[in-house]
Amino acid sequence: MFEDLLRRLNGEHTRSEVEEELRFHLDLLTEEQQQRHASLAEAKAGARKQFGNFEQVRDECVAISRRNRPYLRALKIFFNLIFVGGVLVHVFSFDYHVTRVGGLLIFTAILSHLLLYMRQLSPGSVAKPQASTSLMLSEPADKHFVFYDQDRRTPVERVIFKE
Amino acid sequence: MTNGRTDLLQGTLELLILKTLSRDPMHGYGIAQRIHQSVDDVLKIEDGSLYPALYRMEERGWIESEWGTSENNRRAKFYKLTRAGRKQLQGQSANWDRISKAVTKILQTA
Repeated sequence: MFEDLLRRLNGEHTRSEVEEELRFHLDLLTEEQQQRHASLAEAKAGARKQFGNFEQVRDECVAISRRNRPYLRALKIFFNLIFVGGVLVHVFSFDYHVTRVGGLLIFTAILSHLLLYMRQLSPGSVAKPQASTSLMLSEPADKHFVFYDQDRRTPVERVIFKE
Repeated sequence: MTNGRTDLLQGTLELLILKTLSRDPMHGYGIAQRIHQSVDDVLKIEDGSLYPALYRMEERGWIESEWGTSENNRRAKFYKLTRAGRKQLQGQSANWDRISKAVTKILQTA
């Protein structure tokens, strides 16, 4: 258990979990290729091609996993403790002022959770996608389509400023 | 438009993942398969590119993950939509609808 804790602190746990997850995907892709009567070497190469850059994806996922999350979890646990403390103080205290402190703790915990939730909804709270997040149309709809014309106008500009 | 490929709007992949997970919890491979089937090879997605997107979405609280056992009895990480994720899906779907309608409108006026 202590070794596991040390591995978690060193970030090794995150890395091995990410690798296990990606390896699972890659293995299934290899099996899929083999079912199409490819040899093992061909299947592995096909799977790699379909998957993309394994090392880059792994490093990106490890980096995302390591940032913020332990801190966020610790914050949530802390707010939960404040909430429970507030409830206990509020329920078991006989003094009016102490009861109000309990109420204040409950309010603070709820507000903090709300702020965390709003942060999660905010699109600007997380870094922009890296190069490995690629999604493309496999073929252009019209191979002779010209995005910029000779006057460097986009299709929308051509429609708006049609002469 | 280079090499016969067109980059799509940022956030499109996230929208596809959100929509895919709105039905059932799935592991990454399952999500990739479902998306490939749905888009009929019109969109080219490298499977690996799903994972940074999944991790970022989990970071934002739109999805949660849990280790479980896959259909072939291997340990796999399953993702499911959170309440914030469902809200995000609604918002992004509405946005996508607005953008596509606006672009269609411009193209039809030509």
